[in-house]
Amino acid sequence: MITAILNARVLDPATNTDTIGGAIIDSGKIAAWGTGVKAAPGGADQIIDAGGLCLAPGLIDLRVKTGEPGEEHRETLETASRAALSGGVTQFVVMPDTTPVIDDVALIQFLTRDTPGVSARIHAAGALTTGLGGTAMAEIGLMKEAGAVFFTNGDHPIEDAAIHRRTMAYATSHGAIVASRPDTASLRGSGVMNAGSFAARLGLKGIPGEAEWIGAARDLMLAEATGCRLIVDQVSSPRTLDLITEARQRGVEAGCTVAAHALFFNELDVGDYLTYCKVNPPFRSEADRQGLIAALAAGEIDAVVSAHDPQPPEQKRLPFAEASFGAAGLETTLAAVLHSVHDGPLDLLDALRVLTCGPADLIGLEGGRLAEGAPADLILFDPDRPWKCERENLITRSTNSPFDGRLLQGRVMRTFVEGRTVFERDA
Amino acid sequence: MARIDAEYAFKGPHLLGLMGLNPLQLTSILDRADHYAEMARAGHRGDRLLENQTVINLFFENSTRTMSSFEIAAKRLGADVVNMPVSASSVNKGETLIDTAMTLNAMKPDVIVIRHSASGGVKLLSRKVDCAVINAGDGMHEHPTQGLLDTLTIRREKGKIEGLKVVICGDIAHSRVARSTTYALHQLGARVRLVGPRTLIPSDAADWGAEGVFTHMDDALIDADVVMMLRLQLERMDGAFLPSRREFFRFYGLTQSRLALAAPDALVMHPGPMNRGIEIESAIADGPRSVITEQVEMGVAVRMAVLDMLSGRAAP
Repeated sequence: MITAILNARVLDPATNTDTIGGAIIDSGKIAAWGTGVKAAPGGADQIIDAGGLCLAPGLIDLRVKTGEPGEEHRETLETASRAALSGGVTQFVVMPDTTPVIDDVALIQFLTRDTPGVSARIHAAGALTTGLGGTAMAEIGLMKEAGAVFFTNGDHPIEDAAIHRRTMAYATSHGAIVASRPDTASLRGSGVMNAGSFAARLGLKGIPGEAEWIGAARDLMLAEATGCRLIVDQVSSPRTLDLITEARQRGVEAGCTVAAHALFFNELDVGDYLTYCKVNPPFRSEADRQGLIAALAAGEIDAVVSAHDPQPPEQKRLPFAEASFGAAGLETTLAAVLHSVHDGPLDLLDALRVLTCGPADLIGLEGGRLAEGAPADLILFDPDRPWKCERENLITRSTNSPFDGRLLQGRVMRTFVEGRTVFERDA
Repeated sequence: MARIDAEYAFKGPHLLGLMGLNPLQLTSILDRADHYAEMARAGHRGDRLLENQTVINLFFENSTRTMSSFEIAAKRLGADVVNMPVSASSVNKGETLIDTAMTLNAMKPDVIVIRHSASGGVKLLSRKVDCAVINAGDGMHEHPTQGLLDTLTIRREKGKIEGLKVVICGDIAHSRVARSTTYALHQLGARVRLVGPRTLIPSDAADWGAEGVFTHMDDALIDADVVMMLRLQLERMDGAFLPSRREFFRFYGLTQSRLALAAPDALVMHPGPMNRGIEIESAIADGPRSVITEQVEMGVAVRMAVLDMLSGRAAP
């Protein structure tokens, strides 16, 4: 089956391409792309006039939580896949924070099986410790063999430095990457939002920046000692980026991710105790937000993640301190990043880079770039199209989106996986 | 047979470890042990070199096999043997190590064989007694008679040590056997490769005299002449050194397909006791290349040799 996509603004961050052209898809692979594609070849089965929309590689999201297995009422792999595809995400990595925890080969195979109704490519991240308990090492070698793309302790960063060091050393000897959200449990304490005068005014306990900086410094030094390839996951403060830069100068192979919502919101958006804005790491100060955007523009951030975390209403309709952490994000990631293009210093290719080849290269995934012979995972999107995020209209099963009620710009109109249209929005 | 009395021979006064012994000294013990091994096989019960001498087995760590091996060796030489296992030890009543040593010393034994859980513990005791001391294993430090019996077993099977590729696999970091055996083999010219999970290999293992340190077992086994598997202490799952037994077996267990990577006439060794199915497949432990029972046999011979060379103040 041959499909021609014509009349598009073709964007490929990997090759710094921003040009008018198109793409030819043959049998699910990209046969040709770029400025040379001006007309459909004879024998094309399908001709799509993109009408000036942007054509880009399908987005890659390295941090998505679902409720499968164990809490399917929050989100299943199928609903997550549909939500992802509507947001232009064609590949995502599922976190091991499920019930049971993904700490066994059988569960890796469960997550990556071919499920009818799941068209996005789903990868599994394995737990570093059994049950994410932080004390006993999980079967990292066996899970790596079964296809786990990296290892993490999810939302339960390992507190014991010796154990974290051993899991890093062991994972490294099996060629595995470790992702760790930098945190220090005792400093985070029972904090629920960014520490500062706003938290004080609301009467809420704060999470100080030191919790993240000390955690990051520790993880980076352990990575240096063990030779581990480390991803510092969900950086929320520019100071953490300074630590990463310094570690890289010492030869540490450290990458980093930032949550899309951290580029869009600051601590003031908690507003009137809005629990959809209760996330960990929390929305920080406006200066922090601007610092993250500047770092993104300077190429210091490898990937932006949705940090999608579906939380059911009964966990969010509570006083702020009692509500659960977590925000839905699969459908709003692109718009959140484009916000810094429309209202900030970022240019479109750099914005796409951290959603495509950046994450692909960070963990060695195929995809995230336009190339002859590559699988045709593509999106057509309108970077300027305005829309209002209304949670009733979100596809994700749990609609705890901090973007609820917000006006956004940037919308995916069509998504292809292996050349097939798996999502199409009515214009 | 006339006793070896050459200038280069091992003379003691203690055997606290193999590190520091030169190849001639090591060889002198092996040669003496070889003599005792042949004697035992010929059914000859041996010279009563240690008649009227007292050998005390002072074991602060449980061990039936090593203690029995020393007991049999001493009795074959005619000595009076007193076993003091940890359960019977007055250390349980709170007596300090030094007090225990001084108490025993006052009873004027000829040899004390000591096993202790602290590295350096045996050396400390040796300074407080007047008799000869043999280290039966101190913490993670040394197990000299094990190193000697491993070396002797290889020498008898292969006819030499020099140039042989010997692979030692398992929990290297916590193994006194790995330290003693690697040292002895290296001194005598063997090429030792250490293999284990990254969390169980100390960072300085390359300084022990090994020609290579590996975390990938298949790479280490290529053309090996000897494959020595170490016992995995199952407590290593606590403390997060390892995930599980099945993962250890998957990546570090000696299977038929792994053994096929080694030389066709490679020896399979294990200091015992074995965890069948965790570090070694049962069939291999019982198979034709296994010399595990010969190791035990050589253990008695080596211990007779050491007792002889340390306590033989009285000529026959």
